[in-house]
Amino acid sequence: MSDDPDKASPTGLSLKEAEEVHSYLIDGTRVFGLLALIAHVLVALSTPWLG
Amino acid sequence: MSERHPLTQFTIRAMPFSDAASDALPLRQLLRLSLFQVSVGMAAVMLLGTLNRVMIVELSVAAWIVAVMIALPVVSAPFRALLGFKSDTYRSSIGWKRIPFLWFGSLYQFGGLAIMPMALVILGEGKQAIGPEWVGEAGAALAFLLTGLGMHMTQTAGLALAADRATEETRPRVVALLYVMFLVGMAVSAVIVGWLLRDFSELRLVQVVQGTAVMTLVLNILALWKQERVTPMSKEEREAPRPSFRDAWRDFASGGKAGRLLVVVFLGTMAFNMQDVLLEPYGGEILGLSVSSTTLLTTMWAAGALVGFGIAARQLSRGQNPYRMAGWALVFGLLAFSAVIFAAPLQSALLFFIGAGLIGFGGGLFAVATLTAAMTMPAEGLAGRGLALGAWGAAQATAAGFAIAIGGTVRDLVNSASMSGLLGDALADPATGYSVVYHVEIGLMFATLIALGPLTRFQRTNPTPGEAKARIGLADFPT
Repeated sequence: MSDDPDKASPTGLSLKEAEEVHSYLIDGTRVFGLLALIAHVLVALSTPWLG
Repeated sequence: MSERHPLTQFTIRAMPFSDAASDALPLRQLLRLSLFQVSVGMAAVMLLGTLNRVMIVELSVAAWIVAVMIALPVVSAPFRALLGFKSDTYRSSIGWKRIPFLWFGSLYQFGGLAIMPMALVILGEGKQAIGPEWVGEAGAALAFLLTGLGMHMTQTAGLALAADRATEETRPRVVALLYVMFLVGMAVSAVIVGWLLRDFSELRLVQVVQGTAVMTLVLNILALWKQERVTPMSKEEREAPRPSFRDAWRDFASGGKAGRLLVVVFLGTMAFNMQDVLLEPYGGEILGLSVSSTTLLTTMWAAGALVGFGIAARQLSRGQNPYRMAGWALVFGLLAFSAVIFAAPLQSALLFFIGAGLIGFGGGLFAVATLTAAMTMPAEGLAGRGLALGAWGAAQATAAGFAIAIGGTVRDLVNSASMSGLLGDALADPATGYSVVYHVEIGLMFATLIALGPLTRFQRTNPTPGEAKARIGLADFPT
């Protein structure tokens, strides 16, 4: 394992490692959300469903 | 290892994507990893084949806009070298280098395909209800760019991961398998997508393209799950500044082999791909073959490529030098294009089909040989495998894109010149344009052979100690 002194058990992951896994999740969600937004705008332009 | 807490060991084993298994790459894991090639093949068919046709025929988009859209993924191919370098020097506490790039590459590829159909519908004639005019173009450009970027990221990181995990002996077979999976992905998805889109409607387009987007995520997550070995970095390693791309590139290019290999890959790929969109019209227009028998051409080509992959894997894992293998591939290419050229004056369909098969065979040999060579490039100094494979992919993808564009343009230009009698009566024949392209390809093959020559000599007179010792005796094994 790494030499990090700040271990965040009981997962066995250090704080840094846990943060890294978390960052992929958060960034992935951001990208996904942005894509969904673009897709919705494009659909709205071809078939406006609000007014 | 032994001092790890049981809970820690449990987490390492249970955690997604991480696998602390042995160095070796068991077949099941390799097959699973190769699924990323299926998804990239699928996206390639969508971009270059299906959507190309749909935009022109069903959505009646202007041809130049279609050409620009399709060029976008090709133009972004050189970024592969940068992506590979980023992946080599990625700073991670967990110890991942390739997985983050595979993940985000998959996400971009998914995203591009997910917004693609809506953008295309708006791009089509008179389908936009509100909003500014340019939205269709901008949306489609974004979709093509995202898909292309995602494909480049996924493939570069995936190939680098495969190279990291393969051993010296298994590498040629791994490369060949990855190529086979790419071909399988293209063939299977072309059939399925074509079948699904036979009654075209906008709703169907949205369903099919977004279906491929979902398949991208499914295949890629299956492929990357627990594949990269976790080698945690120490704090010092993580905090060390990342080397600059320029320094890494200098290390990569030093020794002269890498730059030469890239030139070989670029010229050779151009030589093997320029006829890509011309073989079928050549068969139909010049040799008078029917539509069903020109489809047989693609089958011949693919069968030749598969045989090429197989033979390349066999010979390379027996210790054949990959550079010499690439030389042989070019010799077969020369034969192939000679056969294709002579098919017109002799009016021989058989010769033409043999030529098509040989083009596939030579192209397959060449691709496996050069990719194996790129993977075998010693990872020294600041340059890692990701950079080498990224550079290889950049040269290959750019060359393939240019080749297709140049091939079509040259045929049209020469034919319009020759048919108007500009080149004299003897050449006023629709076969002239095709013939010029095939001759250019033969010329490019000789150019590639010239560039390749010193590489085979490097390997023989200047073997790296240890690496070449076991192989030198077999390098001269007759093929």
